[in-house]
Amino acid sequence: MARVEYQQSLDALEADLQELGEVALRAVRGAMNALETQDVELCDEVIAFDDEIDRRYHQLEKVVEELLAQQGPVASDLRLILAVLHNAIHLERIGDQSVTIAKLTKVAADLEPGSELVEGLTEMGERAIEMVRIALDSFSARNVERARSLPDLDDLIDRVNRQVAGNVLAMAHAPGTQEWGLRMIVVARCIERIGDNAVDIGEQTAFLVTGEFREFADASH
Amino acid sequence: MSTELDVPPTNAEGDAAPEIEIDSRRMGELAGASASDVRSREAVFRIEELSVSYGTSLALHGTTLDIHRNAVTAFIGPSGCGKSTFIRCLNRMNDTIPDARVQGQVLYHGRDLYASNVDPVEVRRRIGMVFQKPNPFPKSIYDNIAFGPRMLGMKKDLGERVERVLRHAALWDEVKDRLKENALGLSGGQQQRLCIARAIAVEPDVILMDEPASALDPISTTRIEDLIHELKREYTIAIVTHNMQQAARVADMTAFFSVEVQDDGKARHGILVEYDLTTKIFTNPSDKRTEDYVTGRFG
Repeated sequence: MARVEYQQSLDALEADLQELGEVALRAVRGAMNALETQDVELCDEVIAFDDEIDRRYHQLEKVVEELLAQQGPVASDLRLILAVLHNAIHLERIGDQSVTIAKLTKVAADLEPGSELVEGLTEMGERAIEMVRIALDSFSARNVERARSLPDLDDLIDRVNRQVAGNVLAMAHAPGTQEWGLRMIVVARCIERIGDNAVDIGEQTAFLVTGEFREFADASH
Repeated sequence: MSTELDVPPTNAEGDAAPEIEIDSRRMGELAGASASDVRSREAVFRIEELSVSYGTSLALHGTTLDIHRNAVTAFIGPSGCGKSTFIRCLNRMNDTIPDARVQGQVLYHGRDLYASNVDPVEVRRRIGMVFQKPNPFPKSIYDNIAFGPRMLGMKKDLGERVERVLRHAALWDEVKDRLKENALGLSGGQQQRLCIARAIAVEPDVILMDEPASALDPISTTRIEDLIHELKREYTIAIVTHNMQQAARVADMTAFFSVEVQDDGKARHGILVEYDLTTKIFTNPSDKRTEDYVTGRFG
């Protein structure tokens, strides 16, 4: 195999992406734990941890820039580099969503949480984490079929998300809980976005393998 | 001048494109080609099962492809893959090699280029060639251009013709004050543009280029590449290049040739592996061998 150094750089870039994925997942888990346990300290940790995600993202972006400038990648190499860059942006956004969840949890910390909604959000969060895991693994394994399972999982998150507003309206009898619930509408939206990001990463797997970009699901989903 | 090879005027904005027969055996001629797709344009060359041997040694085996009008078609591949042999068949340059044998068919605007009534000299007027090493005549810049037209009896307005082609080859501004000076005093890049000007001075239909920029520095190379983009408005261009990025930059279509080892494990010959839109070849080639070559994993 020729171009040994180049191949090593590509392998290292992909390893960096998987590490970025791990730290992004750590942020989501942290944010969800903080929500579940109303842990303000953990919220602060999640917020501070975003700098680490951003640092890794920018480092990866720099490597991509250098590879494009120095190696003239084409064909599957070019698709890999483009896909890694796309995925890195999605992971960085997942980090940002986690920060928003942590901030809202903090803001609502003095209010009375609704246990049923906490449960629903926790379930959404678990599904979102599972989706990001599947998205990263299927990218690494070049497993398009597994990546294509993501929209179905996303539907489950979307379904719970659509019920959140109704749940909050039903809290009218307890104004403190309802104010908390209003914050949680945005939290649900953040989790739903994490699911969307995971689907986007799955689409990059299909692009990498097939050379054609197609959205897995149309905008009506 | 009337010959066996009369062809319609070449002009990108010219007459409506003639209908093209679709031959399913041809690579790259696929359903879904859009109107802007060069594959929908007339095939200037239709090459059928072309094989070339030098003595008993097979150099190129069974190549079938079309070369489209007002497009740049690049031929890439490792040394010995037959790409130069291939384009030399397009203007019968292989005729000059005593033991070269050409089998199969080269149709040029539907006429068999190797038919007995075809004059090789007329072929080379219609189908000009630019070589790797600039090869101006040891004469003045003016005479380098004027020589071909004079020989062909195109003597009317010769001065205007010289100026026009030098402008066309993006060389006029650099040489207009020294047309009487020896062409060998020009830089390598200028000499190569002079050779391109010389090729177009006799009003060809096709320009073949065999590694036209490989002996030039990067700036001269860029000028030649800009010129190729410009020239394809009026001419059909086929270019052999070792520089894959050059093919990616200038060509509409790219053909990848490779070396095939014969059953005895010794004899090797060139084959066409993949022929498609350049964008396809460099983003998502269909054949693993093309992928390995363009990504540099070859060998």
